Amino acid sequence: MLRVSDLHAKVEEQEILKGVDLEVKAGEVHAVMGPNGSGKSTLAQVLAGKEDYEITAGSLELDGEDLQEMAPEERAHAGLFLAFQYPVEIPGVGNSYFLKAAVNANRKARGESELDAMDFLKLLRERATLVDVDEALLRRPVNDGFSGGEKKRNEILQMAVLEPRLAVLDETDSGLDIDALKTVAAGVNALRAENRAFVVITHYQRLLNYIVPDHVHVLLDGRIVRSGGSELAHELEEKGYGGFDGARAEA
Amino acid sequence: MTTGADTRTGPYLELFAGRGAGGPVGARRQQAIERFEAAGFPGSRDEEWRQTNLGPILRARPVPASGQVLGDGGALPFLYPDCDSMVFVNGRYAPAASSPPEGVTAFSLADPAGAGADLLAEHLGASVDGRASCSADAGVHPFAALNTALFEDGVALGIPAGAALERPIQVLWLSAPSADAAAAEGGAQASIEVSFPRLLVVAGENSQASVIETFAAADPAAGGYFVCPAAEFVCGAGSVVRHTRLQADAAGAFHLGFQHARVDRSAAFDSSSLAFGGALVRNDTVALLDGEGADCTLDGLYVLDGSQFTGNHMRVEHRQPHTTSHQLYKGVLDGQARSVFNGRIYVHQAAQKTDAKQTNRNLLLSKAALANSNPQLEIFADDVRCTHGSTIGRLDEEALFYLRARGIGFEEAHGMLVHAFAREVTDKATFEPLRRDLEARLFASLNGVRSNGQGG
Repeated sequence: MLRVSDLHAKVEEQEILKGVDLEVKAGEVHAVMGPNGSGKSTLAQVLAGKEDYEITAGSLELDGEDLQEMAPEERAHAGLFLAFQYPVEIPGVGNSYFLKAAVNANRKARGESELDAMDFLKLLRERATLVDVDEALLRRPVNDGFSGGEKKRNEILQMAVLEPRLAVLDETDSGLDIDALKTVAAGVNALRAENRAFVVITHYQRLLNYIVPDHVHVLLDGRIVRSGGSELAHELEEKGYGGFDGARAEA
Repeated sequence: MTTGADTRTGPYLELFAGRGAGGPVGARRQQAIERFEAAGFPGSRDEEWRQTNLGPILRARPVPASGQVLGDGGALPFLYPDCDSMVFVNGRYAPAASSPPEGVTAFSLADPAGAGADLLAEHLGASVDGRASCSADAGVHPFAALNTALFEDGVALGIPAGAALERPIQVLWLSAPSADAAAAEGGAQASIEVSFPRLLVVAGENSQASVIETFAAADPAAGGYFVCPAAEFVCGAGSVVRHTRLQADAAGAFHLGFQHARVDRSAAFDSSSLAFGGALVRNDTVALLDGEGADCTLDGLYVLDGSQFTGNHMRVEHRQPHTTSHQLYKGVLDGQARSVFNGRIYVHQAAQKTDAKQTNRNLLLSKAALANSNPQLEIFADDVRCTHGSTIGRLDEEALFYLRARGIGFEEAHGMLVHAFAREVTDKATFEPLRRDLEARLFASLNGVRSNGQGG
């Protein structure tokens, strides 16, 4: 589904990604772990099409289509979803209005009929229940004045409503208490499906106790230095990222 | 004054000479024209006016607007349902198109009689003849003085003490310039049709009223005309006066407006100014908080494109203790549009416990658009809370990316964000037909802004 090959990306003349390879198949959950500054968030933003980053080499493909040729909204239409590390506050735009606009923009782009107010509300309520989001949040402006946990839940809600084929979760666990973490994980697990894949980007192993990945990758200094099964996350927890310096030297 | 000023003021003095100064406020009109003559039009060194280019207006020869007569139903598209209305065409009352309110002293200034004449004699022009003037440094407002001297007609509303009007009163100022005035370009001196709409609202003690002023052109493609309105509000003790000023003039119009409110003890004056049209627009507002506990809310929105200019010059004077004022002015500018916000809050020594807040926020959608924001505080009391802030910024790129990452296209995302910025002001309209109209105008303007100003 997703194929990242030898991806190099820089921002303001500083190279952040230095040759990332990643292949994600439908139905899989991949975890990308790494310390601060390793390039995790850059990878997420580059996938979503943030213009601040310049891709200097390599390729990004979703279902064989070149993502670099696609605007951020076109990537969303193709089924890509990024749960932001720092969801943006948008005062003046109601949360449910925003979600309806997003759902219908995607449906329209895919040649489907737009949902009317009633059908959308039904969908929204159902998904809000699924990911345990208070209906009061739906009536407030997008992320405006939300607590950190509310913002992260709102990201998961958007994911549940938009039903992406590939969801990239950028440190969705950071700053969450254990209850919120469980809620977020339960939301992700409820959406796991054969035709859907996840890339879970995280600093800590804890989230992976609740979202058990099929593959774990260690990102260090802009490269994936090691890949393995879910046991790799536990190894990281014990040794820390310091233990992978040698691997980086070999890579 | 230089001789240059004389050639500019001359044609306006002639208008007055040709009209005479009779009626219940004749003496006041005479005084106003003398003040205007003494002060002249502001020059480029006048601090309050140096950013307003009056050239295009003052180069043209003023002729009284008298052009077209409006056909039956011509005012209807501009009138709201569930509303009383008074319609003026080129500054002249159009009784056939109007449905004046009952239970209120409402009359055309051209034909005051009985109680009406008394109302005028007592209140009209108080804001320019010194009875309810600002502090000395405010000076004479030349266009307010011109209006007092030259208005042909207008409306006076007297709200009886204790009355609470259930329906808003809409005052429609419709400009319908004649075609040949616009075509006079290229002659020795182009002429410009000018009108001087005048509004007086006297709210009795403990009364409540909502007045909506709409400035519009019968033909939105009409050429240049000059509308020079003045409005006075006398808000009696405990009264609640809501005022909406919708400026939707033709694209080529000049509009220099003045409004003045005197707010008495425990009264509230709540004014909202929405500016969409016109080539050169100014709106000068003076609010005097003249009784303990007086309150005013002054909100504004300007949505500009092309080479439009809009200036909002505010002066709020806190003269008594426990007075409050809140100002929120927002601007959306595209193309080469320019705006000026000059806000002055003046807190007199007696006005302890004043609570004043002033905010001006501008959103620039193009590189060539320019917003000026000059908030000023002058405080002579020591126990007050005064805050002011102004921002001039561009669309939040992070928010734009966020919306796009959810599948919302660039244009729609852009529109959502600009709309979100502006609706903080339009959402305050509680009268549903007005709120819907503002919403529609906002969408129409933003669509224009978007198609012109996307820039890739």
